[in-house]
Formats: sequence, C-alpha cells, structure tokens
Amino acid sequence: MNEVKVMDEQKRDVSLNRPVKHDTTQFIVTQLGGEQYGIDIKYISNIIRMSKITRVPKVPNYIKGVINVRGVVIPTISLRLKMGLPEDVVTKKTRIIILTLEQHESIGVLVDEVKEVVTLDEEHIERMGYEKDEKERYLSGVGKADGKLISLLDITSVLAEVVDV
Amino acid sequence: MDTSQYLDIFLDESKEHLQNLSDQIMELEQNPENMDTINEIFRAAHSLKGMAGTMGYKRMQTLTHDMENVFSEVRNGTFKVQPGMIDILFKSLDALEEYVNNIQQTTEEGTNDNQDLINALNSILKNNGQVIAEGSAPEADSGAASGSTETSVSDGGNAKRERWQEIKISDTEKMLVDKAYKDGLKVYGVTVYVEEACVLKAARAFLVFKALEKLGEIIVSAPTAQDIEDEKFDLTFSLIFISGNAADEIKDAVKSVSEIEDAFCAEYSAAAKSAEPEKIAESRPVEAAKPAVAAPPPKAASTSAPVPAAKPAVAAQAPSSSTKPAAKPVVNRTVRVDIEKLDNLMNLVSELIIAKNSLISATAAAEENKGDNGSVNEQIEYLESVTTNLHESVMKVRMVPIESVVAKFPRMIRDLSKKLGKKMELYMSGEDTELDRTVVDEIGDPLMHMLRNSADHGLEPNDVRVANGKPEVGSIFLDAYQDGNNVVIEVRDDGGGINVEAVRSKAIERGTVTPEQAETMTEKEIIDLLFLPSFSTAKKVSDVSGRGVGLDVVKSKIESLSGEVEVKNRFGEGSSWIIRLPLTLAIIQALMVVIGDEKYAIALGSIQTIEDVLPEDIKLVQAKEVIHIRGTVIPIIRMDKVLEIPPRGDEDNKNKNLTVIIVKKGDKQAGLVVDELIGQQEVVIKSMGKYIKVPKMISGATILGNGEVALILDTNALI
Repeated sequence: MNEVKVMDEQKRDVSLNRPVKHDTTQFIVTQLGGEQYGIDIKYISNIIRMSKITRVPKVPNYIKGVINVRGVVIPTISLRLKMGLPEDVVTKKTRIIILTLEQHESIGVLVDEVKEVVTLDEEHIERMGYEKDEKERYLSGVGKADGKLISLLDITSVLAEVVDV
Repeated sequence: MDTSQYLDIFLDESKEHLQNLSDQIMELEQNPENMDTINEIFRAAHSLKGMAGTMGYKRMQTLTHDMENVFSEVRNGTFKVQPGMIDILFKSLDALEEYVNNIQQTTEEGTNDNQDLINALNSILKNNGQVIAEGSAPEADSGAASGSTETSVSDGGNAKRERWQEIKISDTEKMLVDKAYKDGLKVYGVTVYVEEACVLKAARAFLVFKALEKLGEIIVSAPTAQDIEDEKFDLTFSLIFISGNAADEIKDAVKSVSEIEDAFCAEYSAAAKSAEPEKIAESRPVEAAKPAVAAPPPKAASTSAPVPAAKPAVAAQAPSSSTKPAAKPVVNRTVRVDIEKLDNLMNLVSELIIAKNSLISATAAAEENKGDNGSVNEQIEYLESVTTNLHESVMKVRMVPIESVVAKFPRMIRDLSKKLGKKMELYMSGEDTELDRTVVDEIGDPLMHMLRNSADHGLEPNDVRVANGKPEVGSIFLDAYQDGNNVVIEVRDDGGGINVEAVRSKAIERGTVTPEQAETMTEKEIIDLLFLPSFSTAKKVSDVSGRGVGLDVVKSKIESLSGEVEVKNRFGEGSSWIIRLPLTLAIIQALMVVIGDEKYAIALGSIQTIEDVLPEDIKLVQAKEVIHIRGTVIPIIRMDKVLEIPPRGDEDNKNKNLTVIIVKKGDKQAGLVVDELIGQQEVVIKSMGKYIKVPKMISGATILGNGEVALILDTNALI
C-alpha cells in the first residue's frame, strides 16, 4: 500500500547515531505554509501518503472526512484550516500523519510536507507563557534546531477542540 | 496454589450455577415436591461450594455450605419446602451473586459475612424447616432485589455518614471556598444517598447536580463528575457546594429528586476546613480498621473505597486495608462458544488453505500457457465463497442467545409481584434467539425497564382485573424471534393499555404540547410523547416505575444499538412494546448507491422497493415533493440536498427518470432520490472514531473493495 515507513527508520537512525538523552523529546517536523511545525513523535503512529478522503456531510470545514488505514476508518482533519491558514493544495508531498492519543482512537492530520525528525533538548525549547494569543493557542512552545525555529504543536489541545465540536 | 489462572472459568461457571440455582428455586416454589428439582439444586450448590473452596473464597464457601445443608435435609425428606424458606434462599443467592461480582471487580470476595443469612439458614435446620417470623414476612423482601439490603440497612447507622467530610480539596478549590466566604456566600458539604433499588443512578445524580446548580455552584465532587456520569459510584456521592441558600433548602432540593434516599447537608465551615488534614488522618485508621473488625457489608466497604481511590494522596497516608475497586472488571469478557461453531470455523480455515494452494498452482499453470486465466478465475471464485462462509462463521461465534439476559427476569417478576401486591406471571418464548454479544450485553437494562413498566403501570390491580372480567392473575409476555435481518423482542401485557386521553391531557398540562396541537395529534404521536424525557403518567410515583426517567433512556439505548422501539396499544386490553434490533452490528447487507460522485451504502433491510420515476410524476403537496405509487403517497427526499453534494452537471439529467429508493420505518415510508445504483453488497460496519461527530443520518462507514471508505446512511433518521 501507499504507506511510508518513515518513522521507524528515522527513529532507528536517531537512536543509533546519537543516544537519546533523558530530557530530550523527538519531534517530526512538518511544513505548513511558510512555517515549520513540530509534532511530538510519541503521538505519531504512522505517516501515509495522501489517499482518497471520503467527505462526511455536515461537519465543520476543517474535518476533511474519513480515510481507510489498514482496515480502520480514521477521521482526518486539515491542520491548515484548523490553524486559520488557507485551504490545502494537494501535492506529491502532501502527507497524512496518523496520531494515536489513546488506544484504538486515531485521527489523521493533513500536512503539506513531512521534513525530518529532530531531537530537541529541553533547553532548546522555549515554553509558551500562560497567556496565549489566538494563533498560539495550539502551540506548546518554540524549538530551536540548526538555527531554525520550529513551532511545537500541542496536539492534545488541537484535538480537544475537535472532540468538543 | 496459584488459582488466578482459573478465575475466568470460576466466574463463568459460578454465574452459570447461580442462574441454574435461581431457575431451580423458582421451579421449586411452584412444585415443592419435585425431587428432580431438589436434586438439581443440591448438585449446583455442591459444585458451587467446591469451586469457591478451591479458589479460597471462604465466605462464599461458608454460605453455600449452609445452603447446601438445607437442601440436603429437604432431599432427605426431613422437612418440606416452605414459602419463607424460598425467600431466604433467594436472598442467599443474591448474597452469593454479590460475592461473585466483587470477585469479578477486584478478585476479592469482599468482607460481608452475611451472618444473618447464615443464621437464618441454620435456624431453618434447627426448626425442621419452619421459618421463624422475620424471614417469612414478605416485608422482609422490601427495598430491592439485592440480598444484602437488610444487612446494609441494619448496619446503616454508621454506614450513612456525611461522607463529604472525606473530600480533600485542592488549593484552587480552597481559593474558591475562601472567595465564597468573602463574597458572603456559604459553602456546604453535601452527601447524597441514592435508593438501592434505583436503576438509573447516573440519571438521578445528574438530576441532583442540575437541581443544585440552580442554587449555586458545585466545586468538587467525590467520585468525580465523570465517574458519576459513568455510574462508577455505589449508592452515594458527595460534593462541596457554594450557595447563598440555607442548608435546609439545599437538602430539600436534593430530596425533591425521586429515588434519593437521603441527603446530608452541613456548612463546610472554616473550622472544619483548617482541621481537615488531621481529621482525615484521624478518621482514616478507624475507617480502615472497620472492614476488618466489624466486617460491614461489601456495599459499605466499596462505597468507602472510591474516596481513597479518588484521592491517592489521602490513601497513601493511611495504610488502608480496603481494596480499591478497579474501574474495569479484572476479567476479560468472554463468549462461550458451541464446539460445533468452532469445528465449522476450523474446516473453513482448512478450506482456505487449500484454496490458497490451488490458486498458487493455478497461477503457475497460467504462466506456462499464457493467456489462459480460466482456472485462476475459478480458484478466485472458490476463494471468494470460502471467505464469505468464513466471515459468516466468525460472526456466528460472536452471537449468543439472549437467554443469558432474560433468564433473570422470572425472578424479577416474582419479586415485583410480591412488592406491588399484584398477582402476575411472566411467559417467555424464544430465549434461544441469538444476537451479537455486544447487543446482548446492552439490552438487559432496557428490557428490565419495560418489564417493570408493564408490571407496575400495565397490569391493573387484581380486584380491578376481576371487575373487568379478566383473569385475576395478570400476564406479561416476553417473546423474542428473528425477523429477516432483525431480531424482535416484544414485551406484552394483558393489562389496561395506555390511556391515550390521559397522556394527551397530561401533555397539555405539562405544556409539552398546546391544546390545539394535542387536538390534531394521532394516537401514535401521543404515545410517542411517552418517550420524551421526564414524561410519566403514573399518578403516583412508585418504587418500581413512574419516575419519568425511563422510557426516554430505553429509547436512546435501543437507538444507540441501531434498533427501534414501537408501541402497539389496545386500550383496555393491554399494550405491547416491540424492540427491533439488527441481528449483528458488525455486518449488513447493503445496497450501494451513487449520489453526485460519492458512494453510499443503504441497509437492505430498510429498503422496500426501487422505483423508476418520471420527473413529471413528482407532485407538490404542501410545498413538499411526493410521488404516488400503487395507491400510497410517499414523500421524496433529494439525497444530494440532504447530504450537501453538488448536483451533477450533465444537462440531460433534468429530464431523465429518477431512481427512487423506497425505504420504510415502521409504517412510514419515504423515497430517496439517488443518481445511480451500484448493487447489493455485504458491508462490514466500521466505527468512525470519537474524533468526529457525524450527523444522525450517517450510521457508520464501511471499506469498499478498492480501499475507499463509503458512508452508511441511516434511513431511520431521514424519515
């Protein structure tokens, strides 16, 4: 099928080359518009290529529909629309990241591109203050890696609102 | 010896023995002389005792031992079976069931010795079968079906405490409390006790919360609100509550909710607040010691447990001996499978392997003489038929007879009959009807509710029945049978039926409908009002039913299982409540259709016919589109509009014939306009997960052969 085993290989890579220290977190870096967003690797169960999304009527616009991942029907949301960015344009690089927050409950997240895996030390992460503005609502902090800034997504808060709808 | 690996089997078999005992004792009540029954009872009790002993459940063993002694004497003909004795035996069964439930939850049997039951059993022995006063009065049967009722009531004096004092508040909550005092409000601790017979505890708790929220603000509750909602509490819950009202008003508000046994409310004073930590530390050892020393009934033990469980910090302070009831039963759910079904599965799997091997050789052969795919296709067809059969067999393994649920009803009706003082009989048929395990697990409560309804409201009091020329003993029927892809369970009584006029006037009185509306409503529409939340016509609220919460819960439960409830009513002659459930939730026969460029599945069971309709045959009635087919006027629904699908662009579509699928729900019909039919297909229903809230008309999703997902339409929601 059209699944990419990105994660497993990269995970192994990382663990071989630099042993993971205790207070580090691994993030998958994704491109969304002009910015890079990091998603904590512990929530990610799979990354797949774009597949046919079946529209579901009468749901909020950021819910794109449902997809089939190995025989399981999984709802898929557009991170772009959720973050208030313009509508997704599907390209060859578009990926669906399957997040699993609790057992048997997964959700797909549409991103423009999956770049790499970074390992961030806690000291390279700048945590968000208590007061967050509208855009920062879904962020847990900003990470610095190789001179780049990566917004770290607070996936639980993104999904908490999905469930509430 | 480590017996934990046998726990599953033990639980399974104990339940079987208990059910068997219950059935046989019922039988014994009817025919006290039947030696076969007595022997059977003796055997079951004996096995149960042996099993409990092997597993190390001493209390359970002792109680069964004493029961066995009684049976043994009856078997030897020393004395005869007496009605009062039957009552005690039933109570002992309840107590045993309690043990088994405790074991299932915690692997421990609990700390209830049920000494009074043992005494009662022994006194039967001593007095040669004569039951001494206390046991024989039907009053002793009061309250609930639960056997430990009496024990917990007699122990009730100290069990019923103001448990809110055990709530430990966090700093934020403390701030709220301080702020409330500053604002001149009062803070109260409230402890609510729900009646033991209450079936819908969570609903009651919800009503209590609602009533309290009118008066003020709830800061914290124990167990947590979520646990209360999930009914993960025993018979009591406590909360800290900010309000400007007086304690008595709050207490009254709580007590105004029916089935609330008692409520305590006292000011959560500043003194109590500061003294809190010590107080908890003090009260804890006492609390912990109590189960060991006084051995209160498991009810009390398990009610106290959620508090420490909810506050691990507190529990850690005191080495509490009470076991914490796990949120989930420690034992997995099992299905007992008929060996024949398994054999069948095994055969199919062997066939599957053969089919695979033939396919391999057929492909090899096809490669040799290129172009000839005949034998490959043949093998694929074979493979197809094997997988279909395999699928069906696996589904059948999931099916269990509804017997496991309905078997407890005769006993329930017997208890109700005593409690309500009405003579009644329950007649059951079709207990062997099979349903998916998940459905069977869920169907018990709604059925129980409907039976209680029939017993309480349906059947008239005996004297009224005689006056109306009916047999004195009321009859309730529970019939189950398979009807196509559905299983129908019918609860019927020969009582008074629903008084439609009474419901109508009640609806007007309650403001549910206006008098004008009520005038034009049909009988069926009026009866449907009964399913609205908090609508009960019972003149007096009784223990058994008539609390208004009930039928709406029944309905929503059934609907959540993709079933439906229908009522047939003959005023004066009785009513029947018909539950229709899908045979299995996992797989259905469906018609695949195309609407716009999307594919949808419609359950075949709900489809009546498919019609080809000329556009000019569609007429407008009250601005709604209808068609006239063979003498009936059927409203039509444009599916592309409902599903928000952009209509197809092709122009000639306008004048083309419409494909209309006529679907039915009960006696209502509707025509669904679709663009294309693909064909009939067996589809596996998949859940769509909790992260997406689908509209009601979508009942699920399925995966098509090409890996795409298609949604399944719930036509019931459309009509």
